[in-house]
Amino acid sequence: MDKKLFVFLGFLGTSIGIVLIDISVPGVIIGPTIKIILLILALVFDGLAYSSRYYSYLLVPIFKQRKRSIVLSSEDPYWLSPTGDAIVHKEGETFISTVYVKIPLYRSATEMSNDEKLEFTKQISRLVSLSRDPIRFTTQVHMMNKDDYIRKLRDTLSEVENEEASLLARNAKQNEIDRVRGKASMWRHMLDSVSKGISLEMVLYASVSALGGQEFEAISGAQQRARELISGIAAVFGVTPSILTGDAVQRAVEPEFLIPYSTVSEQLSKTLQEQVT
Amino acid sequence: MLDEESIVYLVFTLIVPILIFVNLSNIGSGLTSYFAMLLIALEFAFLLIMVFADFVLFPLIMGMLGITFQPARNYKITKGQDAVIKNVSGLYYATGYVTANLFAYVFKAERIGEGEELRQIQAPEAWEKSVMSINFPFKFNVISAGLDIQTVRDELEGKRSFQEFQLSRVMQSGNPNESIIADIQRKINVIQAKIDRISQEEKPIATLMYAETTAVGVSEKAAMDALAAQIKQLQIALGVLDVQITRIVGRELYTIFKFGYSLPTSYQDIATFFDSQK
Repeated sequence: MDKKLFVFLGFLGTSIGIVLIDISVPGVIIGPTIKIILLILALVFDGLAYSSRYYSYLLVPIFKQRKRSIVLSSEDPYWLSPTGDAIVHKEGETFISTVYVKIPLYRSATEMSNDEKLEFTKQISRLVSLSRDPIRFTTQVHMMNKDDYIRKLRDTLSEVENEEASLLARNAKQNEIDRVRGKASMWRHMLDSVSKGISLEMVLYASVSALGGQEFEAISGAQQRARELISGIAAVFGVTPSILTGDAVQRAVEPEFLIPYSTVSEQLSKTLQEQVT
Repeated sequence: MLDEESIVYLVFTLIVPILIFVNLSNIGSGLTSYFAMLLIALEFAFLLIMVFADFVLFPLIMGMLGITFQPARNYKITKGQDAVIKNVSGLYYATGYVTANLFAYVFKAERIGEGEELRQIQAPEAWEKSVMSINFPFKFNVISAGLDIQTVRDELEGKRSFQEFQLSRVMQSGNPNESIIADIQRKINVIQAKIDRISQEEKPIATLMYAETTAVGVSEKAAMDALAAQIKQLQIALGVLDVQITRIVGRELYTIFKFGYSLPTSYQDIATFFDSQK
């Protein structure tokens, strides 16, 4: 029997049982106060029976655990597949695998004519009606982890500064020194502007899930749906979508990947500034 | 909205208050029976709220009792049932969800066809402007599922016939009300426009749209405060589009959280939990 139905029948049966006791036992034996208490209990269980339509996943743990912090699951919500291109979640005995497909679309409305804008909107309409199976299309804006980029900029800057120093040491021509100084100034300016403030990155991706009695079955099902989706997207936009793997998958799922650790202090100070002003 | 399963649940649930009401004399007389009737009335009120606005009652009860839930390791659903918090090495990441249904593209407009092309031309630019005004992490999600063309067509034709029947009844009445006629004709136009679009080989789909944003804080409260501010900004930014924005709370929050790592695999799965757009 379905667990939800079992919960419903349990609460309803309890409620009806209490009502029958309340009705059949004479008032002279248990008194009016007990009768009212039984009535309240019966109605509470009856209310819980209806609530189990949507809240059965909570009601049983609440009754079992009887504390304020209810644990619905102490497991990780998902795990990465061995191939690294899908995530797997287990719901009862069923495995659900999800694959993420990156849609490399880098067009802006500012550089489109009205006809192109209309065509683009129609392409989006075609995109969302690609399949009968549910597909999720996500536009995600997250904070860029600029550590690597800043490191590269610093390396480049120090190379240019070394070049300038060597030119000065061998008394090179003034115009050559000025050119290298200009280059250094450009990289310094870029480093300053990149280090300052928050940089955001926008990505567009689609995700599909598939069920399976076994883990590999769910993964291959989701991969198959993803391949179909890739051909559909390629036909609509003429781009080459790719399946996300590893960290890129986690960026689509985990909240901490939206705000990388290295940018947290910037984000906190920004929030503080907003609260003050 | 009540679906078939909810109606079955409701019918069986109503057995208890009816049973009590019928046997009121066996429960007691005088004050006891009045009290019993008051309890039955309260039960009806509770059921009524659960049917139409459980999203109000449930967070209220959980908030009063101070109950929080752990949907998975390191995650917590707050007692207000309006955010999911993840604790990562002492930092708290609070994620909140809002519905973001783009009604302009689902025939909510009264005059079908009029200005539709202009709206489609303006859509990409309006979207870009909205996104560019947001300076914090967020996601805009569209879950779409294709529907069976013949089933949708039959359903729409049935609805059109019903509206035409209503119209003929109003017309035949002695004193037809102009505003009622206009309203029925508008409904017929909307249905006809949907049928026309299907006839032009446009695939019918059901969609569910929602946005989510994440804020970070050194404590749960700090993360929640930052999240509240971000959600307000998100509402303002997306407000320029024809979007219905409502904060997602309660059981829908839990379902949406699970959608983060396992999507529904059929349209029925979506329809069980949400009123999607067709």
